[in-house]
Amino acid sequence: MSAEEALAGQLRQRVARQFGRSLHIRTLDTGSCAVCEQEIRLLGAPHYDLHRLGFFFTPAPRHADLLMVTGPMIRAFGVAARKTYQAMPGPKLVVATGACALGGVYQPDAFVHGAVDEILPVDVWIPGCPPSPLALLQGLLVAVDRLAGKVSGLTFAAGEAPQ
Amino acid sequence: MPLWFARGLRRGIVTTRYPARPDSSAAGLPTPPAFRAGMLDHRLADLLVTVCPSRALRRDGGVLLFDVGRCTACGRCQEAAPGAVAPSGEFELAGTSRADFVKKIELGPEAGQ
Repeated sequence: MSAEEALAGQLRQRVARQFGRSLHIRTLDTGSCAVCEQEIRLLGAPHYDLHRLGFFFTPAPRHADLLMVTGPMIRAFGVAARKTYQAMPGPKLVVATGACALGGVYQPDAFVHGAVDEILPVDVWIPGCPPSPLALLQGLLVAVDRLAGKVSGLTFAAGEAPQ
Repeated sequence: MPLWFARGLRRGIVTTRYPARPDSSAAGLPTPPAFRAGMLDHRLADLLVTVCPSRALRRDGGVLLFDVGRCTACGRCQEAAPGAVAPSGEFELAGTSRADFVKKIELGPEAGQ
């Protein structure tokens, strides 16, 4: 491991400790169909109860630690997305949420950038169309280093035995 | 103490214990497919690439590239090749590296015919 990687690891641990048990989330809709928003809203329902884990939603980017971006990043929204990111105090995290934000549904064309990482520096990607509240919870916990991401170990190749 | 309050306490808590314990509702979620690579040849792989509406699948020689990030779990690949494709059951898919989402699935030995 190089010195830079070790330093990056230390910094990441410090950020995780700072965010530790209280993290404020700002959601940003960059042209999604609003189903991702419905699932995000479900996180506050009694069954999932996001607040028990120390996550809170805030209506202002200036109070937010984490930007949860949904939608394929329409071109008309690029400037607003950049401004939202700049308005957040550091250290800050960006979570791309849903298949649109990961580049799955819309190709880049005259109207959409096609993926959130074209505009913002994304830290965590949450796939799903829409991602279920459980998937969102896992993504948030991965973002603050309280759960390790499992996806790198998955192969999506099933066994050979016929069903 | 009102009766409804005592009843509520007795019947327990609705909130999920996730992530400390698995959540029972996770079993019913639509999940990205897992592929039985041995049953996929080039022709079937190309068919799956064409039916995928979100460009999650791509064939590169004898390898099927599956971008889990782009998958919407619509199930069209499963309809096209019912024996070779089945839901993976994985929903905890968040990751910190975009490259981790692209899975390489080696096509079967009959590939290339």
